Amino acid sequence: MKKLCIALGALAVMASAGAASAQEKLVVSTWGGNWKAGVEIIGKEFTKRTGVEVEYITGGTLDRLAKAKVARGNPESDLVNTTAHVGYLYYSDGLMEKLDYSKIPNAADLYPLARRSDYTVSDYVYVYTPAFRTDSMPKDFKIDSWEVLWSPEVAGKLGLPDFDPSHIIIAATRLAGVSPAEWDKVKPKLLELKKNIKAFYQSDATSQNLMRTGETPVQVLLNINGYHLEKLGLPVKIEVPKEGAVVGTDVWGINAGSKKKELAQQFINLALEPEMLAQLCNFHKCSPMNPKAKLDPAIASLPGIFTSAEQIQKEAILVDDKTYATLLPQWKAWFTENMMH
Amino acid sequence: MTQRRPFFITFLAPAVLTAVILVAAMFEVLQYSVRAFIPGALDVGGFTLDNFTRINRPIYWWVMLDTFYISFLTAIFSLLLSYPVAFALVRARRDWVRSLLVSLSITPLFTGEIVRTFSWMLMLGSDGFINSMLRKLSLIDMPLQIMYTRFGVVVALVQFSMPVMIILLATAISHVDRDCEKAAANLGASPGAVFWHVTLPLTLPGILSGIVVVFAWTMSAFSTPQLIGGGKVLMIANLAYLQGFSVLNLPFAATLSLIALVSALGSLVLMKSATSRIEKRLAIA
Repeated sequence: MKKLCIALGALAVMASAGAASAQEKLVVSTWGGNWKAGVEIIGKEFTKRTGVEVEYITGGTLDRLAKAKVARGNPESDLVNTTAHVGYLYYSDGLMEKLDYSKIPNAADLYPLARRSDYTVSDYVYVYTPAFRTDSMPKDFKIDSWEVLWSPEVAGKLGLPDFDPSHIIIAATRLAGVSPAEWDKVKPKLLELKKNIKAFYQSDATSQNLMRTGETPVQVLLNINGYHLEKLGLPVKIEVPKEGAVVGTDVWGINAGSKKKELAQQFINLALEPEMLAQLCNFHKCSPMNPKAKLDPAIASLPGIFTSAEQIQKEAILVDDKTYATLLPQWKAWFTENMMH
Repeated sequence: MTQRRPFFITFLAPAVLTAVILVAAMFEVLQYSVRAFIPGALDVGGFTLDNFTRINRPIYWWVMLDTFYISFLTAIFSLLLSYPVAFALVRARRDWVRSLLVSLSITPLFTGEIVRTFSWMLMLGSDGFINSMLRKLSLIDMPLQIMYTRFGVVVALVQFSMPVMIILLATAISHVDRDCEKAAANLGASPGAVFWHVTLPLTLPGILSGIVVVFAWTMSAFSTPQLIGGGKVLMIANLAYLQGFSVLNLPFAATLSLIALVSALGSLVLMKSATSRIEKRLAIA
């Protein structure tokens, strides 16, 4: 009997310890692969400082959005790391909590473009910009303007993402001097580009593969992918055209219904700390949204990396999240129907 | 007196449950297809038939025709390439030859579709195996464009479908009564004539089922046209995916899925009736 009581007591202690650690867990929803590895840099530091474990659930941008919708009111995660315009879809559908910026003091230091909304805040940005294989193009070839993508030299060589045509459409509106909302006016110009497109890529991996194999020696790609290819030794040149590169923004938001809002805000505050951002952006080779974050000079000098407000002003093409989120479905539908077949 | 079947309901239950879930899912797809799409929102709108009128745009007809065309070519080429393999598989005299053929023809089934498709990307690319060989042999100066073409997609789909076709054909060939072939040979028919007039007609049911199965299977192909086609060759499943998971237009994706399903079922019904007619004619002959 005594042994039984001891065993039951031990079980009760183990169970309560388990419950305590379960309570002290912060669940973060993010992408897999390298993106998760980046978030883990923040997660490790968070655990070190607070003793709270961080658990990760990963998936694609839209899969996670769909899951969050299904789990409305009882979210699987406490924090969401997603793309800014998808963040708009989250909060416009009531899937995110309002941020209390007084609990995120580091947000005060950010560039204005980083405070996307009352619900979302950005820690870094990246760009979609033209890049090319120097060994597959003429010696004097350069992409100093998006217009070059329409040139005969690029005929049958261009690769574009099939999941997001926004970059080329936004660039075309910039060339035409109209706003993205007036994109109807650039439809004929976009159709002219069709002859230059060789293939569409479906993911970062297929983008890199198409460039690696030389199938599409000219691409509009994520600058981070371009740097990765350079690191692998491929002769890839990433260009920022004079009209600028199209900025993509990742944001943090707190799932509506999260019971750990305080901890989630602490996590976001940590993510916006200059030292953390410098670590994260040195890892991803992206642009930190806190000007106090000091990047390695070699990374700071890369094309498409912004280190000052002036540089953002000069080299970045920005579109607000609402415009992006509401126009993107139209852009994608039109692109699928008119450019892809 | 009715015969007792003690476990009938128990054994039937999983099938009924699966059928109910499938029907419920199909009903959900159906109800999505008649709902309005609201750009920039996750929720769908009220009742509409706009998704069905939108199908009339040329792009959707082209993609549908392409899907039929690619599926048809895949079925025919799978048949042409699989028949000799299946024949050798059944008629080989040595066990090791049979074992080798079984391994070679069936093993691809155990590698994933994505792995096989990536292998084909390495084969068909501008710098891939085929182009490199042709260049080394000085047969071409510029690489042949095989990737992102219907031809490339069909090549990969044929290889993907061959194991199934081989299994179906081998079953049909193994059921051929060898005495009929011997009788024809004894009556003076050459080996070619025996094959053409006896063996081939007797395996026709297997040929027809192979065509029907591969055609239906290819109609729903997704990852092979997605990766080999590179967005330049679209099949109906790719279009439904793009609408659903890229545009987030779930109502239209549901409409495309429904149309693909109806088209596939319709073509299967047509094929089935043609098959029955051919089989009847054979039986009479």
